[in-house]
Amino acid sequence: MKKRIIAAFSALCIALAAAGCGKSDTAAQTGNPEVTGDTSVSGKVVIYTSMYEDIIDDMEKELEIQFPNLDIEFFQGGSGTIQSKIAAEMDSGMLGCDVLMVAEPSYSLELKEKGILEPYTFSGVDKLMFDYDPEGYWYPVRVCNMVLAYNPEKYSKDELPTSFKDFAENPEMKGYLSMSNPLTSGTAYSSVVGLYDKYGEEYFKSLNAQNVAIESGSVALTKLETGECKEIMVLEESVLKKRQEENSKLEVIYPDDGCIPIPSTIMIIDEEHSANKNVLAAKAVEKFFLSPEGQKLIVNGWMYSVRKDVSEYPYDAIPLVQLMENTIPVDWEKCYKQRDEIRTMFQNNVTIPG
Amino acid sequence: MENKKKFYFDVKWLFIIAIVGFLLVFQVFPLVYLLIRAFFAEGSFSLDAFTRIYSTSMNWSCVLNTLITASLSMVFGVLIAFPLAFLVGRTNLYGRKLFRTLFLMTYMVPPYVGAMAWLRLLNPKVGTLNVFLESIFGLSEAPFDIYSIGGLVWVLTTFYYPYAFITLSRAMENMDPSLEEASRISGASPVKMLFTVTLPLMLPSIASSALLVFVAAASCYGIPSIIGAPAKIYTITTRIVDYVYVGSAEGLTDATVLAVFLMVLALVILFISNFVIGKRDYITISGKSVRPNTVDLGKWRIPLTILTGLFAVVVIVIPFASVFATSFTVNMGKSVFEEGNFTIKYWETIFSRNSIVKSAGNSLISSVWAASLGMIVCIIMAYLLKRTNVRGRSIPDFLITVGSGTPSVVIALSLIMTMSGRFGINIYNTIWIMVIAYMIKYMLMGMRSVVSALSRVSPSLEEAAQVSGAGWLRRLKDVVFPLIGPSVVAGWFLIFMPCFYELTMSNMLYSDKTKSLGVDLFLYQTYHSQQTAAALAGAILILVAVLNIVLSKLTKGKFSI
Repeated sequence: MKKRIIAAFSALCIALAAAGCGKSDTAAQTGNPEVTGDTSVSGKVVIYTSMYEDIIDDMEKELEIQFPNLDIEFFQGGSGTIQSKIAAEMDSGMLGCDVLMVAEPSYSLELKEKGILEPYTFSGVDKLMFDYDPEGYWYPVRVCNMVLAYNPEKYSKDELPTSFKDFAENPEMKGYLSMSNPLTSGTAYSSVVGLYDKYGEEYFKSLNAQNVAIESGSVALTKLETGECKEIMVLEESVLKKRQEENSKLEVIYPDDGCIPIPSTIMIIDEEHSANKNVLAAKAVEKFFLSPEGQKLIVNGWMYSVRKDVSEYPYDAIPLVQLMENTIPVDWEKCYKQRDEIRTMFQNNVTIPG
Repeated sequence: MENKKKFYFDVKWLFIIAIVGFLLVFQVFPLVYLLIRAFFAEGSFSLDAFTRIYSTSMNWSCVLNTLITASLSMVFGVLIAFPLAFLVGRTNLYGRKLFRTLFLMTYMVPPYVGAMAWLRLLNPKVGTLNVFLESIFGLSEAPFDIYSIGGLVWVLTTFYYPYAFITLSRAMENMDPSLEEASRISGASPVKMLFTVTLPLMLPSIASSALLVFVAAASCYGIPSIIGAPAKIYTITTRIVDYVYVGSAEGLTDATVLAVFLMVLALVILFISNFVIGKRDYITISGKSVRPNTVDLGKWRIPLTILTGLFAVVVIVIPFASVFATSFTVNMGKSVFEEGNFTIKYWETIFSRNSIVKSAGNSLISSVWAASLGMIVCIIMAYLLKRTNVRGRSIPDFLITVGSGTPSVVIALSLIMTMSGRFGINIYNTIWIMVIAYMIKYMLMGMRSVVSALSRVSPSLEEAAQVSGAGWLRRLKDVVFPLIGPSVVAGWFLIFMPCFYELTMSNMLYSDKTKSLGVDLFLYQTYHSQQTAAALAGAILILVAVLNIVLSKLTKGKFSI
């Protein structure tokens, strides 16, 4: 009797595993055969990234065309998860990846100082609209944009705050607001730094008085749909994605006091610390992502390009140039150097006051 | 013959050494290392980190919240589980089998999925259940607020009482009915019998199940992170994960230091529990395998069935229905039945997306390994514990208990630090680190299952085999296994299930090739799409239910958790 049960389980197990393997091989056949990619690099490259799964699905197909001999693997996770994973890996001396596409420049500053990055000279720096490392240790590769969002099916825009300042101060909103946790989300942390510079600690005291909920973006978006929240502070891409994919009516509000565009960086791990010791290939991948073709993949993923010469912008969004007219700047050096201080400030005021 | 050898080596020792060795390397060493690292973060002994962490008032509020919510969940969990275990296991309640399956359902779904469901049902503004109750009773405000200590306790209780239910059901099955019969013959009513005989007999099991619930609730991450965080109620686990997410070496130290508290708390509880369970021979077990008699509920049969049914509807049917409804809803702001708002695309996604299918395969493989290896350990240990008086036989038992009492976060942290090559073993980024973490955390449930089954099998059968000349291994194979088979399968299942959707440890141990279903589910829940997460949870639930039925059929109804 027991044998039969065990046999049944093993069969199930093998079947599922086989199903998993079978699918991953088909991706290579899709795409345009006319485009001949870079065949000079081969081997394997692992990329840690916090981009959405859907975007990665599309990118993988395009990358197989670009690099027919190179096996590129993505490992997806929230920026918090990946950073803690990297911290634990550094403790053991070697990382599990070759390229990082995660978090914001302040994290890049930290990794550069730790001495595990490989510099790369990118020839098109004059095309970049955002800060980059002059020594080539990191470049911006995609732009996430912190905005406000609401649900026109539940509440009218006229009654809602249209600026970050009003978001924290409008008494009507008390108990109906939500934002991400700056401890676990790099973009949320950057936004906190931007708002801290602009409005000071008072801003966060007001946020606390508003009883703002601290939770992940997807939970907040659902609360926006159900009407549990009237307005949320959220990444624009998550709203745009819902609009395009689910025909959602949720709408973005570009705050009057400025959006907070947060460039996310691309970095190469040096030979000594990288998983596959394939720096040459890693550089080729980085070059591609920074090229106009690579940037189009980013834009398809509802994020903004970092290049001036890419005119495309995300679905239902506004052109980058227009976006950049009114922004709240973030001081990356400060982000990095005063991280603990600012996090404690936020926690003391908003997370667990008292 | 044995006397001829001067240094007779008992073959049983080999097993104990192997198992203890395994536990020493993969459980004791990492945990001790973690402790050392907490004190020696900067190379020399220092209490700086401790002072820093424990002088912060917000950390103390987390400690307090953890103690309050876990204690209350423990009390309510047992208060719910005991009568349910009695009604379902020992009386002629209608639909007992169905109820039993239903009550175990919550053990089979990831707690954070349930937390999401309750969030939608009981949030004070637009919670479905709240709105419904308001309109029925004409209330001016929502009767329930999930964002409170009470809400947190409610969800923790509804998800962890099955731990107590499983333990108590087993103890009830093992009870000697003659004492109860004596009380009934002497004229006691069923209720009087319950309070004067059954309850006192069950006390040690109640204590051990209470502590099981306490530790589970105290070390839970998913529920407090989803319900507690928006309410600004933080627990130790959410703080630890916060510290880990800080991503720096210092964050890791801070997490470690906070984890030490949880570890100490768990150890203290285990000592209390062992002290009480040390007297577990209260439960008189007769030599022969007897099933306790069924108590006739009489005129209470129908009302009690209705009451139990109501409980099942509120605690199981409603939240699960909400999960299924979510998985078909496009816009969560509208009813699933509204035109154009129904979709099956989320179900298509979970079966077609590469990464999900791969994760499901990973989880299946690692939890099958964890459950299978775990059961081998459990069977041998249970046998040594119950059938022999080999010295040191309780050491592995103790270690297994400590392992399951150790918070998941602590296990994961300690494994990352010690198993990534620094000490000669590098299993980080492989499925083995997960298999080992799962085994350490969940073997106890399997162990309990086998121990309880063995208690029911009379040793006389083995003695007969021994007299006929069968050796130890032979007796195990020909007598013991066939008799405890269904319980072994049940134990296997009890380990397999929580591993299959495990989140807290997997979330820290996974790599590109070993991403697990629990991680994916949580990512979808909090990052990508709640509806996809709901579909995934629904699929897990269906899979588990089907497996349950298949196993039940294969073992001709003998199998039950």
